[in-house]
Amino acid sequence: MSETRQETEETQRSQDGATGAHLTRGTGAEPPPGSTPATTRGAPGQGEQPGKGRSLTADAWRELRRNPLFIIPMLAILLMVVVAAFPQLFTGKDPRNCDLITSRQPPSAEHWFGVDLQGCDYYTTVLYGARPSITIGIVTTASAALIAVFLGTLAGYFGGWFDIILSRISDIFFGLPFILGALVILTVLDNRGIGTVSLVLILLGWPTMTRLMRSSVLGNRDADYVNAARALGASDGRIMLRHVLPNAITPVLVYATVTVGIIISAEAVLSFLGVGLELPNISWGLQINVAQSYFLDSPHLLFFPAILLSITVLSFIALGDAVRDAFDPKLR
Amino acid sequence: MATSMTETAGSPRAAAGGESELLLEVENLNVEFRTRDGVINAVNGISYDLRSGETLAILGESGSGKSVSAQAIMGILDSPPAFVTDGSIRFRGEDLLQMPEDQRRKVRGRRIAMIFQDALSALNPVFTVGDQIGEMFRVHQGASKKEGYDKAVELMDRVRIPTARQRVKDYPHQFSGGMRQRVMIAMALSLEPDIIIADEPTTALDVTVQAQIMELLSNLQDELDMGLILITHDLGVVADVADRIAVMYAGKIVETAPVLDIYGAPAHPYTEGLIKSIPRVDLKGQKLVTISGQPPSLGNIPEGCPFHPRCHRRRDDVCIPNEPPLYDVTPGRKSACHFWEEVLNDHNQ
Repeated sequence: MSETRQETEETQRSQDGATGAHLTRGTGAEPPPGSTPATTRGAPGQGEQPGKGRSLTADAWRELRRNPLFIIPMLAILLMVVVAAFPQLFTGKDPRNCDLITSRQPPSAEHWFGVDLQGCDYYTTVLYGARPSITIGIVTTASAALIAVFLGTLAGYFGGWFDIILSRISDIFFGLPFILGALVILTVLDNRGIGTVSLVLILLGWPTMTRLMRSSVLGNRDADYVNAARALGASDGRIMLRHVLPNAITPVLVYATVTVGIIISAEAVLSFLGVGLELPNISWGLQINVAQSYFLDSPHLLFFPAILLSITVLSFIALGDAVRDAFDPKLR
Repeated sequence: MATSMTETAGSPRAAAGGESELLLEVENLNVEFRTRDGVINAVNGISYDLRSGETLAILGESGSGKSVSAQAIMGILDSPPAFVTDGSIRFRGEDLLQMPEDQRRKVRGRRIAMIFQDALSALNPVFTVGDQIGEMFRVHQGASKKEGYDKAVELMDRVRIPTARQRVKDYPHQFSGGMRQRVMIAMALSLEPDIIIADEPTTALDVTVQAQIMELLSNLQDELDMGLILITHDLGVVADVADRIAVMYAGKIVETAPVLDIYGAPAHPYTEGLIKSIPRVDLKGQKLVTISGQPPSLGNIPEGCPFHPRCHRRRDDVCIPNEPPLYDVTPGRKSACHFWEEVLNDHNQ
């Protein structure tokens, strides 16, 4: 008895979920005897345990879990993050312990990626180069996203003079091309390390995301559930945190994923141009910068950091795409 | 003229109970929208009152100001563009319009709650229904998450959602339309308010479910002795549950009366037209009667009686220059028509 009851409940649930449920099941009536559980067993979502809800996030996760375009970039990124955090796990050599005699040796059994200009093992230095790139990418994006979510929510929700001023300020930043802006600012700064470069990129990166957050909040601010929450006595702060933010944040999160890739490549471009990180920092951009003079003689100097940079950037962008598709119900 | 409009209508039927309490007095409420294209007069001096245990139906076409007046009572008008320009809304004697915002927020949800038309869009899609019902207790009573869930299950049982214990962790989109409206009702009921304002609670539902929801609402109202303001354009919904009807046209109340009186014999040509235009089984095959013309634009309300351009009883010498006051028809019944006696007599014969 209890088992059949369980089944009917499950049937009801999957019917509701599957059809968008425009018909009610009546006031507490059991489903009609004709609706045998067997017919709906194969319906999507039947694998769910009873009582377990399906939020948009859960749906998106279920979608992502099976998507190779999500899994492959995700694994690549995880690997890169581990390399960035613990490069010594992957190489026994010290990137600073170099022998000038071996300068620019091509790849061999001893030096998998060859040797760089200073005679350091290139495999080791390229792995150590992941740390600044990944750190700058993630720190910059996370900070810019935080600023964007905070300012964008306030501007979108309250509007008024705050919104006007914020929008004009971000207009100014939009008028400034990203790389050019960073170039101009970084040129006048000395001792450029990870912190300085990150700060400049945050400064130039927040307006786009703030705009995105603001328009997303605007789209949710007048939703019925916001009015309903207000009618049931919720305060502005609570409405923003509980009702507007969770519904408005998805586009920003998706965009942020892509932005990590863009920032990493921006850092490489800036370092290549000589205004990003400075020696003795180790970074892919710096390595590519050094490699340009020796490209014809020692192509491996360009090849290895460039390949890793491309894979990392591409992974973040592909991941962002997959996440966006999963969160957009229209593409299902 | 102005004074007669600010008079509030009595409610003989509810008062007959003896112990009902005067909950809400709306007096000469005026709401306007200041838009780029000019001022829209959405509500123009409406007055009514509501007692505990009583159901007042506010009936009107789209754009007659019925929802706006409800939002003004709740204090959730978007301002700007909407402004309450005159009048008072007294809840248990205290004017809500004069209250500071933080005090007023405590009235919302706790003392006066609202049910919205479309429950799917009125529920937050990213939280479970149990979470959202429980939020009422967390916000207003400082309950813990666990207590909130338990109360949510209790309430879902109360609004007769089957297997509430399992469904409390479902998301709004997993419920059918009728069940979602029950969830909305559960949220509105959670703090046992004195007044519930239901803004077209059944418009988005099909007919059989409408009847169930209305029955649920009126049962709960009896249990809790609440005042219910039912905003609707559907005369069929009103007949069974309402005690009194206020008919709105162009932001004004044109007729207010006990529900049976209105169905027996309307005293305003607009009400007459509304009743005549209900499809009837015994007149099947005949052309459906309609009220000719369009409701007026609220930015440009006709002079004199706002209904005169569509009225088949109008006399231009009377109706165009003079705006009709709310005439007393019988105790507890008013009509804003110069010729209410004529209308009434036609139906009493």
